[in-house]
Amino acid sequence: MDARVETAPQAPAIRHQLRFDGSGGEYFKIWIVNLALIIVTLGIFSAWAKVRSKRYFYGNTYLADHNFDYHGAPLRILLGRLIALGLVLGYTATIHFMPLMTFAWVIFFVFASPWLVNAALRFNARNSSYRNIRFNFEGEYWEAFGVYILWGLLAAITLFTTYPLARRARDHYNINNHTYGSRYFEAKIPGWPMYKTYLLATLIFIGGIIALGILLSAAGIAGMDFKSMNPKQPLTMLRFMLLFGGAYAMLLLTLTTFTGTRVFNLALGHTVLGDRFHFESSLSTGRMIWLVISNLALTIVTLGLFYPWAAVRIARYRCEHVAVTGPAEMDNFVSESVPAQGAIGEEVASFFDVDIGL
Amino acid sequence: MDAEASRNSDALEIRDTGGVILASVPLTSARATARLGTMPRRLDFLDGGSFETSDNDGVDRMLGRRSLLHRLESSWRTVLVSVLVAALATAAFAFYGVPAMAGWLAHHTPASVARYTTQQTLLTLDKIALKPSKTSLSVQKHYQALLGAVAAGAPASASGYRLLFRDAPGIGPNAFALPDGTVIITDQMIPMVKSEDEIEGVFAHEVSHVVHDHGLQRIYQASLVPATIAFVTGDATQIGHFATILPGILLQAAYSRGFEQQADDDAARQLRRMGKNPAALADLLERLDKKMCGHGGCGPSWLGSHPATALRAARLRQS
Repeated sequence: MDARVETAPQAPAIRHQLRFDGSGGEYFKIWIVNLALIIVTLGIFSAWAKVRSKRYFYGNTYLADHNFDYHGAPLRILLGRLIALGLVLGYTATIHFMPLMTFAWVIFFVFASPWLVNAALRFNARNSSYRNIRFNFEGEYWEAFGVYILWGLLAAITLFTTYPLARRARDHYNINNHTYGSRYFEAKIPGWPMYKTYLLATLIFIGGIIALGILLSAAGIAGMDFKSMNPKQPLTMLRFMLLFGGAYAMLLLTLTTFTGTRVFNLALGHTVLGDRFHFESSLSTGRMIWLVISNLALTIVTLGLFYPWAAVRIARYRCEHVAVTGPAEMDNFVSESVPAQGAIGEEVASFFDVDIGL
Repeated sequence: MDAEASRNSDALEIRDTGGVILASVPLTSARATARLGTMPRRLDFLDGGSFETSDNDGVDRMLGRRSLLHRLESSWRTVLVSVLVAALATAAFAFYGVPAMAGWLAHHTPASVARYTTQQTLLTLDKIALKPSKTSLSVQKHYQALLGAVAAGAPASASGYRLLFRDAPGIGPNAFALPDGTVIITDQMIPMVKSEDEIEGVFAHEVSHVVHDHGLQRIYQASLVPATIAFVTGDATQIGHFATILPGILLQAAYSRGFEQQADDDAARQLRRMGKNPAALADLLERLDKKMCGHGGCGPSWLGSHPATALRAARLRQS
């Protein structure tokens, strides 16, 4: 008699929607008290405040009824911040008095930034966990160098026609080196949709500039000869600066949100974890642009007090449109025992606004 | 898995729903996450396991402690106090802290740096906005002598007080001082001046800018404001930088108006010392204002780098 091996039927895939449980009011209280403590301790408390803030957002993000966790150690973060501050002061002081030093600083940052980015990603990943299993990041220096520096140079040389590819290379590097429970994330972002996003953005940019030009000439300012701008004539110069500068900044903000959202959807939508878990992201660019601009306006009008509600709004919207699909059992994820990485890289990186990911 | 934790003198016992003891560990070996908002708490055990619960009060009772931070964050009184502290600290920093630091730094900047900054600025200006002067040499010498007389009592500057003439159709009638004592005056200013007193007032104003290192202070303020905002709000990346640049711009304009007012006050004092009337400078300012901005006057003072001309003139006349 043949022995027939029957494979167990594949468990049906289940779709889990992320959920955000925090509230603006609750976060406001935490945020404002932490801010006062930062002021009172002349900035030292900022490391603890950052940990509380991250724990709040991680801890209120739920996937299949379990939340995420952040484990960063405040003391290491403080050390990282002090080093970052030292670098900022050193940079500012030397470039004002010895402008030639700027060149040396540029070289320094070119070679330091891949290390900084890796350190930041590592620290963040290793201090993040879901159901008691930690994430990890395993990118190497020269790979980061290629992605951030070499691809960046190539994009610049080709007048940014290859920028979408550079951006994709960066997202691939970022995602494919992250692991969860010893399994790798893997992203395979298609090239043409990336290009389409940036082509659309360029068209919107051109359209926006034309619209701005029409707006300004209607206000009677575009007719003004640039050379006749008198520094002792505050109104016309400032009116011009504010109108044009403000409108231009809005245009840029809209565009970065537009591309950022679409790339996020693309990247996440083409990511899998360990062959069995798929991600989807259905953020609407229109809604994100509205959120970002309204957040900015309300924050300015309230002199900054609206910020906690702004942050919660974005977190909630993001969670409501990101989902994970996979088998019901979460076995096969074994926690790696990795040492907690120092925070120095992360703090220095975030200081210089190194864009570290999605 | 569903479980229940309870304390048994010094031990922490975990039981399943049936009452069977799953684990018993010393209470002190379990680490609890800090209480934060209404988030669930986690107790971590040495063997890597953990216990999660939303019963925050229960955890506090069991461990016998309450988080001070959480109590502060939950009390509306503390929240109100925090808003006040944040507002006051920001105001104190903006209106006292930054100017004090910038002033100290500017005072301790070596003369060689002032000279170097001036050279670079002059090179740039000559390239983009200034052309060689068309004013006759005799007029230039005369004005130089006037500047010398005004600056006679002032502390020495890095390069001495010298007057440079430039043709600047794009800028119009103007005079400005560079950090090392070089004063630049545009050809376009000469026809606007009706008396020597008026131009002496302008020179006294510019000398004041040099004496107080206003140019250098501006540079330091420009770096201090963003650097401090970045340090305090290191993770405020959600909004982007626009919201923090805007107050920076407004602050810089405010500092600038402060400098201009100080320079005006010094000019008034210097003119009186020389036996002249500060109203002369007020006359010149009003004449310039009318020429450049027409009858409506130049813009609102909350945006400008200089106080409104009407205010400046009134203040000079009252001094």
